[in-house]
Formats: sequence, structure tokens, C-alpha cells
Amino acid sequence: MNFEITTIITLGSGYLALLFGIAFVTERGWIPIKIVRHPIVYVLSLGVFASVWAYYTSVGNAQRDGYGYLASFIGISLAFLFSPLLLRPLLELTRTYQLSSLADLMAFRYRTPWAGTLTTLVILIAVTPLIALQIRAVSDTAYLLSPESAQGLLAIGFCVVITLFSILFGTSRKTGRTQYDGLVMAIAFESLVKLIAFLAVGVFAIYGAFGNLDELDFWLQDQPELLASLKNTDYFSSFHVMALLFFTAAIAMPHMFYVTFNENNGQRALSFASWGLPLYFLLLSLPVLPILWAGLQSGSNVPVEYFPVVIGAAYDMPLISMLAYLGGLSAASGLIIVITLALSNMCLNHLILPIYQPKANEDIYRWLLWKRRLLITAIIWMGFFFHYLPSQQISIEVIGIVAFTACLQFIPGIVAILYWPMANKKGFLWGLATGVLIWFLFLMLPLLSDADPLALTSINWREITAFSLIGNCIIFVAVSILSTSSDEERSSADICTLDTIKRRKRSGLVAKSTDDFVKSLSKPLGEKTATREVDRALKDLDIEEKDRRPYAMQQLRGRLEANLSGLLGPSIAREIIDGYLPYSIVSQHGSSDLNVIENRIEAYRSNLSGMAADLDNLRRYHRQILLDLPLGVCSLSSDNEIIMWNRAMEQFTNLNYPDVVGSQVIDLSEPWLSLITNFIDDDALHSYKYAFELDSQKKTVNLHKALIEKTTDPDSAHDGVIILLEDITETEILEAGLTHSERLASIGRLAAGVAHEIGNPITGIACLAQTIRDEYEDEELLNLASQVIEQTERTSTILQSLVNFAHAGTNKTHYEREIVCISECMAQAQTLVSLDRKSKELNLRIECGPEARVLGDSQRLLQVLINLISNARDASQANGEVLLQTQVIGEIVEIAVVDQGIGIPKAIKDRVFDPFFTTKQAGEGTGLGLSLVFSIVEDLGGDIDIISPAKEGAGGTRVLLRFPCYHGDPAGT
Amino acid sequence: MYIPRSILVLLLIVYLLFLLSADWINQASGAWYRPFMVGFLVVLIASWSHREQDSDEF
Repeated sequence: MNFEITTIITLGSGYLALLFGIAFVTERGWIPIKIVRHPIVYVLSLGVFASVWAYYTSVGNAQRDGYGYLASFIGISLAFLFSPLLLRPLLELTRTYQLSSLADLMAFRYRTPWAGTLTTLVILIAVTPLIALQIRAVSDTAYLLSPESAQGLLAIGFCVVITLFSILFGTSRKTGRTQYDGLVMAIAFESLVKLIAFLAVGVFAIYGAFGNLDELDFWLQDQPELLASLKNTDYFSSFHVMALLFFTAAIAMPHMFYVTFNENNGQRALSFASWGLPLYFLLLSLPVLPILWAGLQSGSNVPVEYFPVVIGAAYDMPLISMLAYLGGLSAASGLIIVITLALSNMCLNHLILPIYQPKANEDIYRWLLWKRRLLITAIIWMGFFFHYLPSQQISIEVIGIVAFTACLQFIPGIVAILYWPMANKKGFLWGLATGVLIWFLFLMLPLLSDADPLALTSINWREITAFSLIGNCIIFVAVSILSTSSDEERSSADICTLDTIKRRKRSGLVAKSTDDFVKSLSKPLGEKTATREVDRALKDLDIEEKDRRPYAMQQLRGRLEANLSGLLGPSIAREIIDGYLPYSIVSQHGSSDLNVIENRIEAYRSNLSGMAADLDNLRRYHRQILLDLPLGVCSLSSDNEIIMWNRAMEQFTNLNYPDVVGSQVIDLSEPWLSLITNFIDDDALHSYKYAFELDSQKKTVNLHKALIEKTTDPDSAHDGVIILLEDITETEILEAGLTHSERLASIGRLAAGVAHEIGNPITGIACLAQTIRDEYEDEELLNLASQVIEQTERTSTILQSLVNFAHAGTNKTHYEREIVCISECMAQAQTLVSLDRKSKELNLRIECGPEARVLGDSQRLLQVLINLISNARDASQANGEVLLQTQVIGEIVEIAVVDQGIGIPKAIKDRVFDPFFTTKQAGEGTGLGLSLVFSIVEDLGGDIDIISPAKEGAGGTRVLLRFPCYHGDPAGT
Repeated sequence: MYIPRSILVLLLIVYLLFLLSADWINQASGAWYRPFMVGFLVVLIASWSHREQDSDEF
């Protein structure tokens, strides 16, 4: 093999430029987002895990362990196949709390910056050999293709180019934890190139080196020692440990954490990756054996790991060698770019920011950007210097194992995050330190000192790995059990642990508005950054700037902490938030925020089964009862925060549940503020007929309250108050109407009594006047007597009408069936109406013939007419005309009461017959008149209709009554 | 802790496949690509168990 070094450099640089071009085009939005965010792209981007280890080292492993080389592929595949156990809950955690690295996660869960710092340091030390491994593989393979070039210069050149591209890739944008579609697309592309290149080399190995599959089989039959090593079971001793190493690496390795959690588009993408990534690794593992055998058959003397690069040239196909080199370069560059990006953020958040933070007057984003660039450069060149340390005699496999074993030390801490709430920071730190110490003494030091190049095989790396993990676990568990967890740790354990739905107690904040937030955060972040972060958090939560609800403020605080965590790491973010946005009430572990619990149970509901599902159904049933109760229900916490606001309450107050829940009572508008605060302050448990005005209408309510018995909070006398609100406004009106009606009936009875009493002397006067008329002949006296008789008759008629009307108001169930002459009834009504001297003057015109007769109760018909005439008079101007008209149409008598008044608006036309419906001022009408008319007309077998306006284009109202006509003998005989 | 039933089924099937296929894979006369056939079968079952479902998210 002898390629020109310029060809190799041009190819490598061109390929990296292509990757950058893909990222650039994606960021510009020239590739449809549907493609960029497709789960296949996500799966391919996860292929970044298939580094030089999978590409080159697996061939060497296959020669030594046979099928044992599959352990690494199986390990990573298992992590994704069973993603609901670890990856999915971790994804939710990292997305919710904006945790962008394993160090962030550890610092968040174990509530100490030391967890983040130690994690970063260990990862940094562990990953350095892995970066060195990539650099060495690239320089080795370039050297194999171009033996005349200087290997050291190749490594330097590769590092310079990859540093430049890593900076361009990862720090071209300012923000912290946001998805970087360009990077994902570029990494997906490199994974595709890697896979295609490796498969192409594999296909060439079968068909180029052997001819076909059958020839390969024949050749294998002639190599019994190869078949024996392929199928021997000795490798099982290390198989499990290797699988575990790679299972852990799927989460603990910074590049995997970054792509799996940071660049994820949601659960759907992870579900797809759960089988898509195992398929990718299955395809990648497929060509390993044919490549190994083709390399062995060619008799090449280069290290077995590099067979993918040499077999093309060995069988006179240099293009295949170049393709294989490109695949290897792709694997190495992809890993270095992603790993340095992830690690630079970790170092910044957990090593630099805890010691030094930018001043508030600096541009924080710019400061962070430059620090990240410096860190990327430092990390790559640290890997470069490391790759000189181990002897060339040490295979790249050994370097890889050392790196992966260090990451294994995080598995107890990761599992405990989700499954062991008792774990605490002391246990985690001591356990991790123990495991890392064993790893460093027995694996890392021999590698660095180069004292015994075969130390790993002679000491048995598998046993060292097991010892370090066991030591880690024992110390972790023992210290966690023996030491106590802080309240903060327990709270964080609650958030992370899958089994619990407990949440921190509701707590009030010192900052009461978004302005307060900006003001407080301006001190550490500067006004510009503080405003930007608060605006971003408001936008994320879809909360309005003017919102002052405590619940919204708590959400805003949480979101700000999460967003700052993405920018500065969780430790610094928490420090800033706790320091500048403190709680006014001390938060306690174990108590409850009902809203959070409700939301969480609702979200988790379909996962409940058995007794839990039954309990949930019961809870929902009780909750529904409270929500649908026709009484207003409002519950308050001990610090007067509104916890519940049911539907009846919403309807009555016109205040919606989401706008009220989480508010303090003092945030309510009037009249509710006075209503509720006065009642809470009052010692009485019940308040009856509490009257107030709402929208210029009088409302009356009954209030009841009960104290919620004290359960957990030792500082308060009770856990809150439940208030029941009963709207009795309509009942109150009904009662007033009935009282008025009763009063009217009394007046009616009184009038009847008075009429009866007056009737007797009138009769006496009439008799005396008749006596004078009959017994005296004086013309003047006779004339006077006639006038007295005439006036007494008139008085008698009036009295009789009064008595009749008074009797009509009584609650009799039996009605008279008499022949009623409508014209007489109308005349009586006219007389009675004219008695009301306080009312307006009325021009009442009657058009009625004697033939209009009905069979019914004259007194009730009289009442109907009086009510209709009264209404017509009220609607008319002074001296307005009201026409009483009767027509006999066949078997029907139609009575019309027509006025020229204001008419009835359309909106209330359907309600005029409703009891107690009135448009008159309070005290002027009972709202019972038309209702009574309707009732009487129905009782008399008629019907009623209201036409308003009476004539098209004019005002007025025409009330039509229809009754069956009586055509019989007027005397009723 | 909630584990979807389909994942438990997958776990059981993978374990049973491992038990049943170990000898078959290691038969002296067996083709070298047998483990990959089992692998494809596991991926196929996994794609079924991870199919889209209306499950609640935390």
C-alpha cells in the first residue's frame, strides 16, 4: 500500500468539510425539518457510539474471543432494547430539568456540586484514553496507507483539523441546552458512511477475497482451529463483564448521553431507537468475521485490528482500503467532535464555573462561548498527548477497556437515581471514589507507567473490573444507609424515583411578579441576561408577563432553574436561584403540592393497574363529585392559597379554575375578596343570606365553612379551610314575590271586607233616596233623590267589582262554569283600572259586541283583563290609547289588548311568562302578572299569544287571547 | 415502578431465545452467521414491543 499522503489529507479534510457543510445546510433550514427530526436520523446519530472500538477493535476481539466480540454490541443493544427501564425515565428527567450531562444529572440528584465535579473529573480521565484511541487509530491507518509519511505529523494534523471542526460544530451558537440539528444530521451522516463503508468491506471480503459464501465455507472447513476458536465458550468468562461495560457506556459515556438525551425529539424517537440502534449494531457486527478471515487469508502482517483497511490493498482493490479508511476516520471524528462538545460543557459547568463566574456586567453568553472553545481545544490535545504515553505494544483494545471500565463506576449511582431513594451524596461520592481508586491503581497506572504492557491480561482486567464495581456498590450502599440524607436530597430523590409521586410542599416566593424576578436575577446575571432568561422561561411556560399567581411564579422559578441549569450547570443554577429567588415559606420534604400530585397521577393514569387503578378511580369519583356539586366549593390552604375551585364556583363568580387555583385569596377581585376574607375571619361556621352587589345586581348567598384537620404541617393550626357557597338569589326573589303576593291577597281580603261593610250603609242610603223619590212630589227633591240613587248604584257597582276581584286572587281549585259576557267583563275591568289614581291617565277604548260570550269564570277573566290593561298602561305614554277589541271568528272568541307603547324586546319575549320575570324597577312589579294571566287562560281552556311590535314597523304590543265561543242562550237556560 | 407489559414479554422471549439457540449456534457444522439470524429475530420482536402506543409519559 502506498498512497500519497496528500491524497489522504485531502480526502480526510474534504470529508470533514462535507460533514460541516451538512451541518451548515441543516442549520440554515435547507433540509426539511421532517427529515432532520426523523427517528431514523436520531438512530443514525446514536451510531456515534460505534467508534474506532467497533470499527477496528472488534476484528481483533473476534480473532481472540470468537463470538465474544459481539459482547460490546449486545451490551449497548440491551440498554436500548430495554429502554423503559433506564433510558426512558432518565430522558424525562433530563428533559424536564434541562440536564445536559451525566455530571448535571448526578449533581441534580445528589444535591452537591461535588457530585458533578467528581463525575466530570472521572469522565475526563476516562475519556482521554478513548480520544487517544481515536487519534492513534487514525494516524496508524493513515500510516499503513502511506508508510512514507511521518506518523507523528499525521496525528498532529488530524488533531489540528478536528479541533477546528469541533469548534465550528459545537460553538457556533450561543445558547445552552437546545437541540443542534446540524450536528445531529452530520453525525447521522457519518454513521451512515461508517456503516456503508464497513458493509462494503465485508461484502468485498466475501466476494473479493473468497469468491462467494460457499467458497468462504469451504475455506473455513480447512481452518478447524479458526472454527474452534469461533465457537469456543471460554470467552463467556469476560462476555458478561464486557456487555455490562457497554451497557453502562450507553448512559455514562458523555457522547452517548449527549446524543441520547440532549438531541432527542421525544419518546417516539427513543422507542424507534430501542430497536433501530440494535439493528444498526447488528448490521455493523455482521462484516467483522468475513473481514477477519479475509485478512488472515491474505497473510497480512499488520495488527488484526487494522484488517478492514489493509484487505482492499491486499487483494488489489485500493479503493476498498480508502473506503475503509474513510469509515474509520468517520468513526473517530464523529466520536471526538461529540465527546469534546459534551465534555467541554461538563468541564465548564462543574470545574470552572464553581470556581470562577463571569461578572454581571459581562456578556455571559459570549464568555461561556469562548471558554467552551478553549476547553474543546484542551480536551483534544490532552487526548493527543495521552496517545504518546502507552507503548505501541499496548493494543487499542486495552486502551478502550480502561476507558470503558472507568465509566462502569457510575452504574450504581445511575440505577439508584431511579430505583433507590435512600441513596445519598455521601454514599455516592465514597462509592465512586472507591471504584475509581481501584480502577486507577490497577488499570490506569499500569497503562500510563508502561511498566507491564501485558498487565491487563496478567492481572486479569475482568477481575479488576468486578472488584472495583463490587467495592463501589458496597461502599455506596453502606454509607447511604449509615448516613442521613438532607431534606433537599430526599426532595430530589422524590423527583427522580419512579415509585413516588410525592412532591415538595407548596411554597410562597419572595418575588411576587415577573418584574421582581428580573430585578432579583439582575444581580448575578446582569439586567440584559436576566430579562432574556425570564422572557424565555415565560415563553416556555406560556405564562403572561402580568401573571402574579403564586403557582405560576413557582412554575417560573422551576423553569428558570432548569434553563439556567442548561446554561451554567445545575449546581450554579441552583445556587443562583436559591440565593436570589428564595421561598418565603420554608419548604419541607414529604408534604404535598396537590396540583402537582393531581397532574402527575393524571399523566401516569393509564399505567395504573389493580388496587392502584381502583384507588385512582375512587379518587376521580370523589373529585368529580366535588367538581360537579351544584354548590360552589372552594378550598384554601393554611396560607390562604386557593387549592380547589369547582365548576359551580366558576359559573357563579365568572372566574375560571386555571386563573384562580394557586392564587392567594388576596389576589381575588371584589366582591369575592371581601366575601371570602370576611367569612374566613369570622368565627361563625355559617353565614346566611349574605347580600352583595355583582354587576349592579343584588346577589344573596349562604356561606358554610369547615376547617381541614391538621395532618402534617406542625406550624399551622389546620391544613386549610373548605368554603361552600350557596347561591340563594333566586330563592330570595321567589320569597319576596310570595310575600308581596300574600300582602296583596291580604289587601284584597281587606278590600272585600270594607266593600261589604260599606255596601250596607249604601243600600240604606239608596232605600232612603227611593223613599224620598216615591213619597215626595217636590221636583227639586225628586231630582236630588234620583241623583243619590244613581250615585249609590254606581258605588255599588264599584264595590261589587272590588269584591269580585278580591275573590279572584284566592287559591280556589274549583272554577265557576258560567256564561261570561266579554263586554260586561271589559266594562268592569275599565272601572277597576280607573280607580288607580296614582297611575297614568289612560284612553281606554272598548270595541266589543254582546255576542262575544264564553263559558268560564268571570272573576278570573276579569283579573286577566285587568293585568293586561295594567301592563299596557305601564308600557304606554301618558294619555296613550289602549284598545280592547273582541271578535267572534267561528267557534273562537278572540280578545285583543293593543297598546301603542314601547313594545317587548325580542331578547326577553320568550321569558315574559316566567314567574318573577319583570323589566320594571325593583318594588314596582312582582313579575307575577303575566305568569298569572298565562295560568288562568290555560285553566279557562284558552290560549295566549303576544305580538310585538303590534304592527310591522311601529311599536306597541298586541296580546291575543282565544277562548271557545259560547253560542247558547244568553240566560243559560 | 411501571414496566410496560410488552417489555416484559420481550425480556422473556430474549431469555428463552438465548437458552434455545445457544447450542444451535455452537454446533460444529452450523453456519457462522447463525447468531446474526437470532439477532435479527430479537430486533424484529423488539420493533413489535416498542411499537407506538398511547402510553402516558411522566
